[in-house]
Amino acid sequence: MLTHSAPSSTAIAGKLTRASRVHRWDVDVHFDWPDAIPETAWCTSPELVSIHGTPLWSRLDEAQQRKVALYEAANFFSLTLQGERSLVSGMSELLYSSRLSGDVTEYLHHFLDEENKHMAMFGAFCTRYIGKVYPEKKVVIPRRRAKGEAEIALFCKVMVVEEVGDYFNVLMQRDARLHPVVREIHAMHHRDEARHIGFGRAQTRELWARYATAWSDAERGRFQDWLGDYVRSTWGDFYNPSVYRDAGLADAPWSVDPYALRREAMAHPDAVATRVRASRRVVDHFVRSGFLREPPTL
Amino acid sequence: MDEMAVRTNLRAWILARAKVSSPGVLMDETPLLERGILTSIDIVELVLHIESMRGVEVDADALEPEVFTSVDTLWEGFFSPIATGA
Repeated sequence: MLTHSAPSSTAIAGKLTRASRVHRWDVDVHFDWPDAIPETAWCTSPELVSIHGTPLWSRLDEAQQRKVALYEAANFFSLTLQGERSLVSGMSELLYSSRLSGDVTEYLHHFLDEENKHMAMFGAFCTRYIGKVYPEKKVVIPRRRAKGEAEIALFCKVMVVEEVGDYFNVLMQRDARLHPVVREIHAMHHRDEARHIGFGRAQTRELWARYATAWSDAERGRFQDWLGDYVRSTWGDFYNPSVYRDAGLADAPWSVDPYALRREAMAHPDAVATRVRASRRVVDHFVRSGFLREPPTL
Repeated sequence: MDEMAVRTNLRAWILARAKVSSPGVLMDETPLLERGILTSIDIVELVLHIESMRGVEVDADALEPEVFTSVDTLWEGFFSPIATGA
């Protein structure tokens, strides 16, 4: 997978490299990991828990709500980790490509370094406090793509993961109700991702200008349909039946069907509103840039 | 686990989400991905639906694209082992 560096990417890369050097941090020593998360601590803002607003949520006592919030935090960190793992794989192939400027390659090293640190901190939280990283239930099915479409799709997928994730990072880094280590994870991720988002937007614009202008209307339409489906389907991962099961909701006295709860939670007006708010920035960018014809129904 | 009921349920779920305007008669051997009836984006939801039918989580690390080829392969890959106690 190759891409062509354009002046604006190179200019941005230089600035981002300098910023990455200034803000370099050591994931091995940065966090003060507690031996356990106290049962009195919140790990997800209650309003952002996936089942917030459902009748079940109001029946749970606060201790049970905090338990759900812990597993939801682990799920959110797991999803971001999975997205970044895919990104690291794709971006690594760009290193030292003859079509990239030296500035862009230099920045990619910092980009990949930071993404690796994020995966390490997300993985540390998940393995320490729930004993696992939630797996990704995705399968890549090869499909016919137009020239350059694979590269554009990679960056668009990354932007969805990063920008939607950043919405939650910004809110939760400043939520004083949350455990300090959770707030710090959100803060560190936001600080680095602000640079990654800027780079991703520049790269995607240039790739689109380079390749998509030569696509047929049918090819462009297929990509736009796929991207809309992708944005919509990404949200499905936030409503994880395994979270509900692990938090004890399938057991007495709640005894809920985790899959039915997922459907109910996804359909709740509060959840729809959250999805729209969290997606607005990246969806607006996609529509303005021509990657989407219109905002997808979330 | 009744095989006919599972196959009927899978066909109904697939038809409800079919990406083509005329999926035609969906047979158990109809190639789902090749015909564009389902896409890779549908796979996550299909896996969750299968989990809800089985009552057992799917091992995400063991997922292979080939199992999603048709209703036949879905039965063989996800339900037959449980039905036979394999």
